Amino acid sequence: MSTALAARIAEEYAAASAELPAGVVSAARRAHAVKMLCAQGLPATREENWRYANLRALERVRFAPPSTQAPAAAPVKPVAHAELPPPIEGYVRQTYVDGIFAPELSSAARADAAPGNPPRERESSADARFALLNDAFADDNARVRISPGFDQPSCVEVLFVARAEGAHASSYPRLDVRVGAGSRLNLIERHVSVASDANFVNAAVEVDVASGARMTHFRVQQLGARATWIDTLGATVAEDASYQQHLVHLGALAARSTFHVRLAGARAAARLHALAAAAAHQTHDAYALIEHAAPHTVSEQVFRGIAAGRARVAFNGKVTVRAGAPGTDSRQSLRGLLAGPEAEIDVRPQLEIHTDDVRCSHGATAGKLDDSVLFYLLSRGLDPDTAQQLLKWAFLADVVAKIDIPDLKRSIERALAGRIEVAAALKELL
Amino acid sequence: MSALLKIDDLKVAVGAKPVLNGVTLEVRLGEVHAIMGPNGSGKSTLAHVLAGRPGYTITAGSVTFEGRDLLSLAPEERARAGLFLGFQYPVEIPGVNNVYLLKAAFNAVRKHRGLTEVDAFEFLGLVREKMKFMRMDESFLGRAVNEGFSGGEKKRNEILQMLILEPKLAILDETDSGLDIDALKIVAQGVNSLRGPERSILLVTHYQRMLDYIVPDFVHVLVHGRIAKSGDRTLALELERRGYEWVSEEAA
Repeated sequence: MSTALAARIAEEYAAASAELPAGVVSAARRAHAVKMLCAQGLPATREENWRYANLRALERVRFAPPSTQAPAAAPVKPVAHAELPPPIEGYVRQTYVDGIFAPELSSAARADAAPGNPPRERESSADARFALLNDAFADDNARVRISPGFDQPSCVEVLFVARAEGAHASSYPRLDVRVGAGSRLNLIERHVSVASDANFVNAAVEVDVASGARMTHFRVQQLGARATWIDTLGATVAEDASYQQHLVHLGALAARSTFHVRLAGARAAARLHALAAAAAHQTHDAYALIEHAAPHTVSEQVFRGIAAGRARVAFNGKVTVRAGAPGTDSRQSLRGLLAGPEAEIDVRPQLEIHTDDVRCSHGATAGKLDDSVLFYLLSRGLDPDTAQQLLKWAFLADVVAKIDIPDLKRSIERALAGRIEVAAALKELL
Repeated sequence: MSALLKIDDLKVAVGAKPVLNGVTLEVRLGEVHAIMGPNGSGKSTLAHVLAGRPGYTITAGSVTFEGRDLLSLAPEERARAGLFLGFQYPVEIPGVNNVYLLKAAFNAVRKHRGLTEVDAFEFLGLVREKMKFMRMDESFLGRAVNEGFSGGEKKRNEILQMLILEPKLAILDETDSGLDIDALKIVAQGVNSLRGPERSILLVTHYQRMLDYIVPDFVHVLVHGRIAKSGDRTLALELERRGYEWVSEEAA
């Protein structure tokens, strides 16, 4: 990070600090985060794990959130229900506009901060630096708490709406999820843009799945065409618990996700199914680290990405097996599809194993559509466009099929159909 | 009877290597022709060139289909005009539903013929009927194209597609390879059900076994990229008895 950028963050923080709520992040912790950031610097593309990210927007954004800035001369038009994605049947919705809870757009009250439950310390991991930036500026916190022993699944949607233009202010979605022992949670997390399509959104998500609990986390990033989305997620999965994430990257000009999922208890399981469909000049980049830290833990990473136009899609999936994690079972299947002569795909599986007695398999491919498959479809009378679109659709199909909420799946399929220019014949099926 | 397919002195190369060295063949409506030949004689190349597979260079000759220049048509145009290639190795297409492909292909051909598209319900009825005929389980309806199918199931699926598309010219490339005798009978029954005065069939095969069940009107032997000998079905029986070598020698 350039020193100029560090200085600007520190300066903007100093100016905004009086307005930043201590109930979300304490002043001491914020100051510490800024200090750490200035010492470590924000990630840069010369770093191995950030090579493919597009961080150019950082130079131009104003980091302080809208709530800390003097009200604009012209009143800001409130967000209307009609501007938001339709609700999902069976799910209560909490909506946050530029990071701040909007009760009028929500169907559920927010969870209060549980007393005696302070925010966890940020790990000093090099890849959590954008979470420090969130610590510094976050002006609200979306909490989802499921008490222990609820075997009926709770269904919650948290909708983050980015409205501010990045040049004027940034959005800091902050999501803190804890699923009590033996309970179940289905959580939908969506990020959309209204008013401006050039937002700067820096999300920080913490997930804690207690023993025997199960959580399924659907994450859909559908920001506007010029937006930048940076996302840092940390999850801890206790013994006999499972955490499953379905990530769908559709929007934004530049999107980057950084995950660290820790399988902390015996027999814990994590599944990450990610999909990216990038076109034009979009960059969709993800770095996913799954850490096996206990015996007989199970993990799976499935990635399917399509890059068209001049887009760049990258997925770096790393699995680390600690010495205390014998009996680990880990699987990675990472595949990228090049759908344009100037597009770029980078998929990279990485394994780091510190114990014997593990079963780890990984496969990674990046390439174009198979000519012999294309010819087969043409020989049946399909025109080349339809054939290509059909194969692109099919490429994503197994990840999309796992999104088992019909309303959400349909909305993702429609959005995808728009992105990969699916033929009319195929749209019929949606 | 007019010629449906007319191949005249066709020469084809793959890269710099000549594979077909002047094939001449005429197939009239209603006829069944078998093209036999040893491995590497160019049989499959001929089938693929007729269907329009990229990667081949036509160095001489011409092919007409119903009087039109076939070689100037794109593969999908050939399919819509009524040419069907049954693949020796049908590809697996994970994520593409078998019925979806059938319907897309069916409607592409119908559209070309100026017919209206068939609705999903009516189409499913047609598919069920043909599947029953091919003794395919209904579970194939919901599966991805050829994914996880056995060799025999893939071949049956090819014939199913053919029965639904009702081509004017069906080119079946080694459809008998990898089939046990029961599957071969079912496949032959499917092919025979399409025989009629309004269509022609070109069987490409190495063995005469399939010709016991689909009796051809003409048999041609392809050797070194050229038709070395033509005859009726007794030629196939003779080839089975004597092998291919004598034809090569005779041709030389």
